[in-house]
Amino acid sequence: MSPHLRPKPIGGAILDRPMIALLALFGIAEGVITWRFLAGIGAVSNMNDGYAWGIWEPVNVVVFTGIGAGAYSVGLLCYLLNRGRYHPLVRPAVLLGAIAYSLGGASIVVALGRPWNMYWLAIPGMWNLTSVLLEVAICVMAYVCVLWIEMLPAVLDGAAESSSPRRSAFGRIWGGRLAKAMPYIIALAMLLPTMHQSSLGGLMLVAGPKLHPLWHTRLLPLLALISCLSMGLGAVVVLTAVMRQGWNARHDREILVDMSRVNGLMLLLYAGIRLADIAANGKLRLLAVSDLFLMFFVLEMALCLIPAFIFLTRRVESSRLRVLGALLSVVAGALWRVDTFLTSYNAGEAYHYWPSWGEISVTVGMAALGVAIFIAISKALPVVVVQETPVPASVAAFVMSALPGAQGRLQAGGRRGPTTPGTR
Amino acid sequence: MTTVRVSRRGFLGVAAAGAAAGAAAALPRRAAAREEVQPEPKAVGLLYDSTRCVGCGGCVAACKEANGLPYQDEPRELDCNTKNVVKTRHLSHPVAGGATSAFVKRQCMHCVDPSCVSVCVLGALHKEGRDKRDSGGEQRGSGIVLYDKELCLGCRYCQIACAYSIPKFEWAKAIPRIVKCELCHGRADPAKGGALASANPACAEVCPAEAVIYGYRADLLAEAKRRMAREPGRYNPKIFGEHDGGGTQALYLAGAGVSFKELGLPDMPENSPASLSESVSETPYLHGLTPLALYAAAALVVRRNHRAEAPDHAKDEEHR
Repeated sequence: MSPHLRPKPIGGAILDRPMIALLALFGIAEGVITWRFLAGIGAVSNMNDGYAWGIWEPVNVVVFTGIGAGAYSVGLLCYLLNRGRYHPLVRPAVLLGAIAYSLGGASIVVALGRPWNMYWLAIPGMWNLTSVLLEVAICVMAYVCVLWIEMLPAVLDGAAESSSPRRSAFGRIWGGRLAKAMPYIIALAMLLPTMHQSSLGGLMLVAGPKLHPLWHTRLLPLLALISCLSMGLGAVVVLTAVMRQGWNARHDREILVDMSRVNGLMLLLYAGIRLADIAANGKLRLLAVSDLFLMFFVLEMALCLIPAFIFLTRRVESSRLRVLGALLSVVAGALWRVDTFLTSYNAGEAYHYWPSWGEISVTVGMAALGVAIFIAISKALPVVVVQETPVPASVAAFVMSALPGAQGRLQAGGRRGPTTPGTR
Repeated sequence: MTTVRVSRRGFLGVAAAGAAAGAAAALPRRAAAREEVQPEPKAVGLLYDSTRCVGCGGCVAACKEANGLPYQDEPRELDCNTKNVVKTRHLSHPVAGGATSAFVKRQCMHCVDPSCVSVCVLGALHKEGRDKRDSGGEQRGSGIVLYDKELCLGCRYCQIACAYSIPKFEWAKAIPRIVKCELCHGRADPAKGGALASANPACAEVCPAEAVIYGYRADLLAEAKRRMAREPGRYNPKIFGEHDGGGTQALYLAGAGVSFKELGLPDMPENSPASLSESVSETPYLHGLTPLALYAAAALVVRRNHRAEAPDHAKDEEHR
């Protein structure tokens, strides 16, 4: 990787105003979580015996990890297809994945009624191998470790560039050793998401009698796998756009266009498989019943086909449309996940569910914490590749008006960018 | 910056891995479902006859007492304090005799191939005698679905998975449990022999009308058929639970003209949801072969690409 593509710490004060706002949101969630452990899940949530997972499982786990699949999809493009030019995107994508998956895992622990019994999970003899959730749990725990190991080079590079000779030597030596082991770790980072992302879809296979037939299919695992690739690619394109606005992060149009085209193919593949499956199983007549389910189905398809249309035509060249398409593809995957786990799920006439403010605040707080961790790590460690040309005045003006505290960051980034010396 | 270098071999490797993944994903459509579970020969259960039930609620009170659960008002639904309930269901059409409603007793169905047991992460919900940990006093063969709270994570996947929405959760407790009918396994009397050696459900013991009776599942099926043969005009000719969803150990008889759906029992596929979930989820793994093969393929390709990239690093360094 050439030196101008080497990631650098963004620098600047970590505890600025946006950070305080994000941490405050998480603080509210933390309060709710504390109360949940003291008084029970029912005390903070509207979950009930019919809707036992509420929004925490569908959103905090299934949607968060779908977004976190950015690490998986970019990794597949970069390492398996050997598209080395994706390299500048890998660290931000892996950091996104590591954070999203860690928060998904943390959310599971909050949602578990008896988390202290988790110690049994360390004993493979106790595993019920027919449980899809067991597969998800073990695989996600392993993958969280793999993702943070994949982030270690950023820490070690940071150490290598340190002014302390001992730290610098430590960083260089261990950075080199880790680099040798990396292919085997990366291979795990390819395998594990293939397994658990499909299993996340497979979770609802068993609930067939309670799911609307437009969502219940044997292909749930396959659909979940394709949709996570699309969500992941979309999330990384959106992330790149946001980092460009905020930090003047490197922005290689060609790569983003290419990724979006792959995303377009994924979306088409997903929609095609879904429609063909519905037709092949004689469920087309359900599309003639005009009800709320049909509305959600049409909405999902529209959210899927609009970005596919943008990505697979010349419109993909427009940065604005491309980011819009990427955002829509994330929303499309998220909506399908929420519909499969919640909207299309019918617990019977006795049960109704709408999330409580407590549940919503935990979901929002976890997301805010994710953003906060991403910003803090990017400022302190070499994760993001910063553009070396000066910020265009129009962009700078936009950012300064939109983000309080961005001025300091831009200056810090600009100051730091060209002067940070490369090592070796 | 590295130029785009997708070697032909690289692409072939990826194509092979992709094809393997694709084949693995496509397999479940073709693979035979994992074998349907058959009822164990000594499986015990309940036979509930809606036409005999007078809705006295005696079984509800007896259940509460036998299980040490608080009893205030007559419960309308199963909940974490109610393992057994009798509901009045309004019928869409009046049936013979002019009745516009029917009673239905609800408790755990003790499925032959239970979804809750299939999905339970550590096997907290398990068939009697198949606990992963020796919790004492369990013998194989009864098919009773029991709960071991020491292995329960409180994930509530059982609640999502159960087609009958039977398992209940203690939402208001900091140390919650899953609550459901265990067929009064604790009231079994080994000295008595027969089905009573496995369990002795208080609901069946107390019912004055023999609307709910307890025994071996095979005997209960025979009794249901006997009742139908004696008074064919009285019954819906189907026995719910004989085959539904792979069969249940709690069996239901409905009155003539009354559908089980009206009684609140779901339309179940013939095969158990657990068999569908397990065969679709497990088949692509080919007993662990697929993940190993995918890992090996990925490691090979990544390592080769990694090496191919190394000279670029060197070049970059030279330029600097």
